[in-house]
Amino acid sequence: MYKGPFVCTGCALLCDDIAAEIQDNRIIRVDTACRKGVSRIKGCSSPMSCMVNGKAVDIDTAIKEAAMILKSSKHPLIFGHGNCTLETQKKTIELARKIYAHIDDTSSFCQGPLIEAILNEKLPTCTLEEVRHKADVVIFWGADPSNSHPRHLSMYSYFPRGKERQRGWEEDRTAITIDIRKSDTAALCGDKFYEIPINGDSEFINALFSALSNKVPKTSFNMDPKKILELANILKKSDFGVIFAGLGMVYSLDSLEPLLRLINKLNETSKFYLIPMVGQYNMRGFDHTLFKETGYINRVYFGREKIEHGPQHSIIELINNNVVDAALIIGSDPLASLPGEIAKKLANVPLITIDPCNNLTSQRSKVTISSALSGVECAGTAIRMDGVEVTLKQIIETDRFSDEQIIKQIMGKI
Amino acid sequence: MGFGQFLTEPEFKFIIVTHRDIFQNISQEISRFGNEYAERSSVITLDKDDMKKMGLKAGDTVVAKNTSARVVLKVESSVYEKPHPGIAFMINGPWANALVPADTGGTGVPRFKKIEVTLSRSKTEKVTPLNDLI
Amino acid sequence: MPSLMEIYQMLPKTNCKKCGKATCMAFAVDLLARKINIDECTPLKEEKYRTAYEKLKEMITPVGALTETGFLVHEDKCIGCGNCVVACPVNVVADPEGTASGRAPSNDKVIIVIKDGIVRPVNIQECRRFGPNKTLCYACIDTCPTKAIEFV
Ligand code: SF4
Repeated sequence: MYKGPFVCTGCALLCDDIAAEIQDNRIIRVDTACRKGVSRIKGCSSPMSCMVNGKAVDIDTAIKEAAMILKSSKHPLIFGHGNCTLETQKKTIELARKIYAHIDDTSSFCQGPLIEAILNEKLPTCTLEEVRHKADVVIFWGADPSNSHPRHLSMYSYFPRGKERQRGWEEDRTAITIDIRKSDTAALCGDKFYEIPINGDSEFINALFSALSNKVPKTSFNMDPKKILELANILKKSDFGVIFAGLGMVYSLDSLEPLLRLINKLNETSKFYLIPMVGQYNMRGFDHTLFKETGYINRVYFGREKIEHGPQHSIIELINNNVVDAALIIGSDPLASLPGEIAKKLANVPLITIDPCNNLTSQRSKVTISSALSGVECAGTAIRMDGVEVTLKQIIETDRFSDEQIIKQIMGKI
Repeated sequence: MGFGQFLTEPEFKFIIVTHRDIFQNISQEISRFGNEYAERSSVITLDKDDMKKMGLKAGDTVVAKNTSARVVLKVESSVYEKPHPGIAFMINGPWANALVPADTGGTGVPRFKKIEVTLSRSKTEKVTPLNDLI
Repeated sequence: MPSLMEIYQMLPKTNCKKCGKATCMAFAVDLLARKINIDECTPLKEEKYRTAYEKLKEMITPVGALTETGFLVHEDKCIGCGNCVVACPVNVVADPEGTASGRAPSNDKVIIVIKDGIVRPVNIQECRRFGPNKTLCYACIDTCPTKAIEFV
C-alpha cells in the first residue's frame, strides 16, 4: 500500500512530503526522502531491547529499575531530547523538576548560542517557506547542507521556484558558501565560495563589514579585497538575504557580537535573516520548550531551592567536575558525540538509555528501554530548524511504548 | 625484522578539522556498530605533500596523539584542489572525538572542529576498534 | 544507445511518406525520440526488411529507459538530495506545484524522481537531450553535489 505524506525525522528539515509503501506493517519503499531519510524511516539494523545489567528483561522491570536509579541519585542528569517529540520533551522536563535533576541537550555544545539569540529576539529570523518564496541571496556559512541536510537546497534554499523567485536558481538566486574547505555545497556555489582559514570567521566578518561601509577590506590571510567588495555588493543589493549558520561558524566565534554587528549592518540596506542549521530533528524544539518553562534553552539545574543555569551546568562541565551520579539519556548518543575523555567518564556513571536503536551509550548502560521510533512508529510534534512546528505522523504499528509513555511510567514509579 | 622497527617514527604536528559526511551518516542510521560506519569515521585525510613528507600512501595507518588520546587511523589522500599543509580532515564521530580535549576553559563547549595532534607513521598497528575508544 | 544514423540506415530510405513523415530521416528522428512507433513504417513489415525490422524493435525498446538517453546514475554516489529533480527544466514545466517548488512530484509527467533515496528516470524520453530539438542540457549534472549523474 502506497501512503503519505509523512514527515521525515532524519534531520531538522523535517521534510513533510514523504511517501511510503507499506506491506504487512513493514516499510518497503520510501519516496522523495533523501537517502539519509530513507535509512532513518526504514529503521536501524540493530534495534534495542530492554535490559538491566546486560540481561534481557520485560519493559516493566526495566522501567522499575530506571526509576530506582533515579530516585536514589543525588545529582541525576537528563540529557539528549534531540530525537524526541515535543510531547516527550515536556515530560522529561517535568521529570527533571520532580527529581531535582540537571537537564541539558546537544545545543549545549553546538547551535545553542544562535537559538538563544533568536529566542531573545537579538537575531532576525524567517521561515523556510519565506526562503523558498522570497530569498534571493543565501549564504551557507560554516555549513555543508549537502552532507548534513541533503534536501536543504532543493526543498527551500536554492533550486525551487518560489512565488517571487519564478525564474529559478540561475537567474533569481545567488548561493554563497563561506567555509574553511571546499565542501560539496561550496562546489555548487561556483565562484561564490569564500575560503577562510580556521577560526578566521570573525576577521572575515570585520573585513566584510568594512566592505559594506565602503572601506577597503583587509585580512591577514590576504583574501582579494575585490572579492570581498563584490560580495558586499551582492549583499547590499539583495532583497531578501538569509544566512544559514553551521557549526563551522558557531565554533569559530568566541561571542556572537561580530555576527550581530554584521546582521545589523546588512539590515541597514536590505533585509537579512539567520537560520541555524540544526542537526537532530527536534533539538530546537527542546530549546523552545525549556525556554518557555525556565527562560533558558539548556544547561538548567532544577535545584531544591531554585533553578540554576550556566556553563557549570552544561553536560561537559558536569561530567568534567564529577557532579553527576546517574544519567538518563533519551534520543541521543552522547558516548559517540562527546569528547572521548568525557564519554569515558560518563560511561562510568550508572546510565539509563531510552532509544529505538542500539548505540554506543546503550551498550554501556545499566538499563536500556526500547522505545518507538518517532515519526515512524508513533506520532507527535516537533520544531523545524527555522522554528516552525511540524506534526509527525505514525507510519506503521508497533507494540513498543513511545518515549513519552516511558517517561510517564518512570515518573509514576518515583 | 628490519632495523627500522627500532627507530621511533618522526612526529608531525597537525590540526584536525572535522566535518560531516552524508554516507557516514547513512551508515550510522543503519547501525553504529557496522563496518561501514567504522571505516568512514576512522579515516584521516591528508594533504598530498604532507603524505609524501611523512612517507605515507593511501591506506597506511598513522598514530594520532595528544594529551587526550592515542588513536590509530587510516590515511587517505585529499581530493581538495587547494593544498592544505598541516591540516587534516576527519568526519566527526567517536574516533575524532577521542582526540578532542575535555578542557573547555569552563565554557562547556569543546573544540570539536580544531583538534591539535601529532601524527606519526605506524607500520604495524591496525585502526583502533570502536570498543577501545570509550 | 543507438545513434540516429544507425536507425536511419535500417529504414527503407525511400521517403515513401506512408508513415506520415516527409522523409525516412524525419521518421528516424521521431523513432529515436520514442515519438512514433516502429510499426507506423508499414514497408518495414515486408519480408526483405525483416532483419532490419527485428533489429530496430530490439534497439528501440521502451524498457531500460535509462540507456535510451544515456542517463546514467551512479547509485553509490547519489544521496537523493533531489537537486536534479527540482532543477530539471522538463520537471519544472511538467509540475510547477510539485517538483518545481521543491516538493514531492504531484503528477506523473515528471521525468526524474527520487525513489528509495536515489534518483530514477521515469519518462526520460522527454529529456531535453532527446528528441528532434535536443539541446545539451546540464541542469541535473551541474546541480549534483556528488557528481552522481552522467550521460553516456
Ligand atoms: S533532508 Fe532531512 S528531513 Fe529531509 S528527507 Fe533528508 S533526512 Fe529527511
